Amino acid sequence: MTKVKKQKDYFDSVHIWGRLWSVGALIVLFSLPVAISVYYNAWPQANLVFNALLKLIPLYWATAIIEVITFTPMLGAGGAYLSFVTGNITNLKLPCALNAMEQAKVKSNSEEGEIISTIAVASSAITTTLIIAVGVIIFSPVLDEMRSSEALKPAFSYVSAALFGALGAGYLKKHWKISVFPVFVGIVVLLISPTFGVSTLLFVTIVAAVAGALVMSKLKIVK
Amino acid sequence: MFDFADFKESPLMLGMAALIIGFVVVESLFFMIKAWRRGKEIGISTETLKNTVVSSALFSVAPAISILATVVVLASALGIVLPWIRLSVVGNLLYETTAAETMLDVLGSNINTEVTNEADFAAIAWVMTVGICFGLVLVTIIGRFIINKISKATAKSEKSSNIADVISASAFIGIISAFVAQAINGKSSDGSSDAGFMSIMTLVSAIVIFLIFETLCQKLKLKKLEIFATPLSIFGAMAMAVLLNMWLPETVTSFTWWG
Repeated sequence: MTKVKKQKDYFDSVHIWGRLWSVGALIVLFSLPVAISVYYNAWPQANLVFNALLKLIPLYWATAIIEVITFTPMLGAGGAYLSFVTGNITNLKLPCALNAMEQAKVKSNSEEGEIISTIAVASSAITTTLIIAVGVIIFSPVLDEMRSSEALKPAFSYVSAALFGALGAGYLKKHWKISVFPVFVGIVVLLISPTFGVSTLLFVTIVAAVAGALVMSKLKIVK
Repeated sequence: MFDFADFKESPLMLGMAALIIGFVVVESLFFMIKAWRRGKEIGISTETLKNTVVSSALFSVAPAISILATVVVLASALGIVLPWIRLSVVGNLLYETTAAETMLDVLGSNINTEVTNEADFAAIAWVMTVGICFGLVLVTIIGRFIINKISKATAKSEKSSNIADVISASAFIGIISAFVAQAINGKSSDGSSDAGFMSIMTLVSAIVIFLIFETLCQKLKLKKLEIFATPLSIFGAMAMAVLLNMWLPETVTSFTWWG
């Protein structure tokens, strides 16, 4: 079998299994509210649920469209199917996959990138699931104290700054020329609208970064 | 530990938690094994694959603790099992909290008040599920189409492949830029983590710790330890935030751009 054929077989198989697992995840996902409603014979008032969803869906579903279009090519097939099932993409799975690909020195649009991204997301999902499960079972009384501890509060309030500072350090050092513009755009957007949602801001900074990099590439400022 | 008499922590809820969390772990193992085998076939070294597993696991520890903290925050109103399930599959820190808060608001309650009615609890579960499911539906339907389009665009020529590399690298930077900008001058919806002195110091600490550790690894020829640079910087910066908050006057640590 040729190398290209084997590669195609692998990708085809990932898409088939990815879709099957995603459909399975949707069934499992919806089994929770169904089980609660059936078991307790507690069907909520449709108008109340509809009222709440009306406030959430425009933002959530629009963001979902942006996330699928933007993140899927970066995560690769396996990484994307797995990330959208296991959740916490922007704050965990995506940076984790990017970090792994950077460390392994592979490109996201290569087969090597696909493999590394999938393993990184799977490893992250298992670790997170286990930590949350162990935390819930064993440490919840301690966690309650940790959460209410004034001394530890700053650590949890600024976890995002710590996470992206650590992740950004390597990237900003390596690609500082194309990093300045999107950070600047992000700052300006937040000056105009400070509470801009992170998913929408991500879309703006990604567009700014790509546009800036293409212009710099055209002007031969970056290779 | 669990109050079985409470409907929010009943054997049904725990059984559902076991089913859903088991599903996530089995799916992750399935894809990991599949990718590992293919990685070996195309010549990726075992060391690289192992390093990916270890560094990704370490990378996930701090955010996982943060997610766990959110589970505990939501537990006061919803019991611990529902937030645990929702944040283990498809869920997201921000979305789940917002969805729960929105439904509780419609019900005339809030996140600090315990839900004592099964119908209200079911309503919250429905809203959390329907609100978050669309991304999963979408990736199932159009994920292949999007990836194939990108692959075709990059396969066309060497030139377009170079452009794809630039797009790919800059898109990563775009993601990081959003969060860096937020740490510099963002404003959180509840005012608990507005950007200011503390967020900037945490951000700078993470960058400095990373660069020092990476430089040390290179100077001392300890390349293998480089995979610890990211998790070490995350925890180091979080520890720095705690220490600065203890050492410096409140007028300094509480400074934010947004008053």
